[in-house]
Amino acid sequence: MSWRDKPELRQRLAAEYALGTLRGRARERFRAWLREDAALARNVAEWEGRLFPLALAVPEMQPPKRVWTSIADRIFSGEERARGSIWNNLLLWRRVGLLASGAAAALLAVVAVLAPQSRQAAPELPASYLALLSDSKTQKPVLLVVGGRRSAELHVRTLDPAIHVAGRSLELWTLPKDGAPRSLGLVPRSEKSALRLAAAADQALGNVPALAVSLEPQGGSPTGLPTGPVLYTGPCVRYW
Amino acid sequence: MAAPDLGEPLAALLAACARGDQAAFSRLYRATAPKLFGVAVRILRREDWAEDVLQDCYVRIWDHARDYRAGLAAPMTWMTSIVRNRCLDWLRRPRLEVAGGDDTLLEAAASENPGPLEALERSGDAGAVARCLRALEARQRQAIVLAFQHGLTHAELAAHLREPLGTVKTWVRRGLQQLKRCLEGA
Repeated sequence: MSWRDKPELRQRLAAEYALGTLRGRARERFRAWLREDAALARNVAEWEGRLFPLALAVPEMQPPKRVWTSIADRIFSGEERARGSIWNNLLLWRRVGLLASGAAAALLAVVAVLAPQSRQAAPELPASYLALLSDSKTQKPVLLVVGGRRSAELHVRTLDPAIHVAGRSLELWTLPKDGAPRSLGLVPRSEKSALRLAAAADQALGNVPALAVSLEPQGGSPTGLPTGPVLYTGPCVRYW
Repeated sequence: MAAPDLGEPLAALLAACARGDQAAFSRLYRATAPKLFGVAVRILRREDWAEDVLQDCYVRIWDHARDYRAGLAAPMTWMTSIVRNRCLDWLRRPRLEVAGGDDTLLEAAASENPGPLEALERSGDAGAVARCLRALEARQRQAIVLAFQHGLTHAELAAHLREPLGTVKTWVRRGLQQLKRCLEGA
């Protein structure tokens, strides 16, 4: 019988975790358990609530201005910092490759696959938007779109090069919850490439449940709205 | 002693952050940073470290604002836990520079009686906790306050209080049990 079946021990460890005296590897192990044991997480939250007033007794201190400047840089500047390009993340590509080779799969399955399953620290992906667009008839996934939420670059990977039509362009659109579709640009003809956004992906995709691709005249829709048939669609979800 | 009120509940600001509202995040920072910086400096005893930790924590708060569950914790409790956890993780790094830490606060705390609780007792929500802490034996109370506010480990508590490790562990455990009983009875 594990300690996790013993209520008093659970309470005690939750209390010592919240107090901070559970330390080192024991703290790490306990934190891993917290992620999969909602009742234990609730115990900890209760203890954090009980002890929180002690934090109120600590005098406030004004942090230097540079702290906010650095935070704003990290959050709003759109740079992905030193985490490396998403495309270079082998872990992601191995998993996406597995997925794309199995026939039709919803994007939610991608997210489930990407979610860290082991307690060993897997390299964390940057907070990103992901969209997997499929052929509505065959359900075959054809296009994967990934963008760091603070990045102004959308990475596009064509899973099926046969989607391109000579003399015509494929145009990628957001389908916002409210309002008309907005163009993200033309689907590049190379297998892997990037689309430049006007602002961070948070602005373009923050309120967008789905993306779509329409068939347009060479160079894209002349009207700013889809004019040809919508060939591929898929959900756009957050990974963070 | 509550967080400064800029006219907006913190929960509403967090909800706006979850929608990507950068202006709301800036207001959230202004309303909460002095409190959280104070908490980090108290645990880390180095302002430069506390600055780094504060940066990481606010980026985390922005990234995870949508995970905040109002039913589980008050906004300030949630954010304080993020900061305290990050501080405790930080202290796990090899302590090459710890000699530069400012120990004067800690020395003061180790010798003080319920001093830090007096201000608390006058504040509404915290009053029950302060009363229940006062009801503890002085040494239990001291161990709990030192552990929470200063981030001391059992071993560090034992060294500061000049008591055997086992004794200190017992104080902490019993103190926490009694605190819970007292709060549930309140």
